[in-house]
Amino acid sequence: MKAAHDPRAAALAPKASADKLIRLPPIRVRTGASEVAGFLRETGDARTGGVVPVTFPARWLALPALRGLILQLIGGDGFLPVQEGQTFAYEHELRIETDYVLAVEARRTAKPPRLTLKMAVSTGQGENCAHLETVLRIVPLNLEPAS
Amino acid sequence: MIEAGLERAPPDWPKAGDEIRAQNFGPFAREALARYAAVSGDDNPLHLDPEAARAAGLAGPAVHGMLMLSCFEPLIMRWRRDLFIARLSGKFLRPVLAGEGIRVSGRVMRRRDVPRPELTLRLIARAQNNDLAILGEATVWYKIPGPLS
Repeated sequence: MKAAHDPRAAALAPKASADKLIRLPPIRVRTGASEVAGFLRETGDARTGGVVPVTFPARWLALPALRGLILQLIGGDGFLPVQEGQTFAYEHELRIETDYVLAVEARRTAKPPRLTLKMAVSTGQGENCAHLETVLRIVPLNLEPAS
Repeated sequence: MIEAGLERAPPDWPKAGDEIRAQNFGPFAREALARYAAVSGDDNPLHLDPEAARAAGLAGPAVHGMLMLSCFEPLIMRWRRDLFIARLSGKFLRPVLAGEGIRVSGRVMRRRDVPRPELTLRLIARAQNNDLAILGEATVWYKIPGPLS
């Protein structure tokens, strides 16, 4: 990609000591029926009747606490996260209209410039349901006006 | 929760090498990406704003990788209703641009019968030009299909 040659990429690869690990306080979420239905519709999944799709927890990456963390760790407005990999691992299916608790850990590495988010989804009673891992490549934007 | 499953694989349980018939998803017009952004919360301008996409080195807005990864679940569940997807992963190898579609397919790579009937699936999403967009893998377990599956 063109962005890979941007000189600001050097700023993304400082000393290894710049690596950061941040854990967020537990976050409560819910598998709301209307949110699940919208997600199924827009992902071409024709199933109905209370199914929570495997990839539905991805929407929790957009929660304000996570958005702020991602923006902070990628370096601000001059950079964008580009998804490189994603894993969902389930011990139990998620149920519709049910409350869950997220435990989120974010690791920012300088070499290579990546942000890895790990999210554990559990019930309010502490039963583990799922784990997610999201790997984001950090791309500096070429904001110079076109000549 | 996983339905109480049988200890043994059903007679038609797939074997290594079996194919999951390819299916097409999309094309994903920019309006579709905006709708996905609304339901997923992923409003990264890389997917929605041509200028931002160009600034990141792309020819135009790219389809959300997670949207394409999500297509594997209906692929699998249309193939067989008696599965629980215990693990789904994908590596995003090439961007697919707005307006294009993908063709997803799969193959059984490994079958295990104990301690529970389990399959490892190799999953592939290709762009319209046949570029490999996502290389995925799923682990699925047998479960008794419920009435709502």
